[in-house]
Amino acid sequence: MVDALTEAHRILVERGVFVDARPDSRVLARVRARSARGRVIGTVGTQRPTKTDDVMSDRAVREVLRRKLFRSRRRGRLWHAIPFEDESELNDYLRDHLRFSRRVEWRVPRARRRNPLFVERAVRFEILEKRSNDGLTSA
Amino acid sequence: MFPGGLGYLRPPAEIELGAYGLDLRGLRVADIGTGEGRLALGAARDAASVLAVDPDRGALARGRAEARRQGVSNVKFSEGAAQSLRLPDASFDVVIFSWTL
Repeated sequence: MVDALTEAHRILVERGVFVDARPDSRVLARVRARSARGRVIGTVGTQRPTKTDDVMSDRAVREVLRRKLFRSRRRGRLWHAIPFEDESELNDYLRDHLRFSRRVEWRVPRARRRNPLFVERAVRFEILEKRSNDGLTSA
Repeated sequence: MFPGGLGYLRPPAEIELGAYGLDLRGLRVADIGTGEGRLALGAARDAASVLAVDPDRGALARGRAEARRQGVSNVKFSEGAAQSLRLPDASFDVVIFSWTL
């Protein structure tokens, strides 16, 4: 991962901008009922191997900041909602998902789950700026 | 409208790029790990040029087809991996890794 960030640094002009955006596995995805702004009726976590990968990605970003390849300009988060007709469609989606846990942690009994369902997940991003090559330090 | 957009497995390009708050007008952009070019095609609306890089040839082919369908001419799709980009030094103003690291 550090290799990829080093390559990004190499192809950028001085003070060029690097964007790292990824789903935020530190935050549970919310399952909302009826609309994308509807009541939260469940949550979906992230698979453990994916969480581990995300931690490694975070470390890689911290490493290039430590090496003074980049400086952090801004961080942020956006939310993205994915619609599903019903619980069956959502379960099919989760069954093969590479990041999400395989099942929903429901907060309400089945009888109170209203369709359609919306899985709202966080996407975090960080804007970095390339620092002068003068600031480079060895690995 | 819900801020992340609806009906997509990933955020629409205009939503995600808007969240970054970058002015891409006239800039050279590299979208590394572009997949089918979702963000690259969005960035092309403002950027001078966009290079869309991904190791998946099938995804790149679908991206090229979508670029043709949209009439976008300032995006180039290229096979490559983030760890070893065959690109010149200091050749881009913005590099994007979205769902890449």
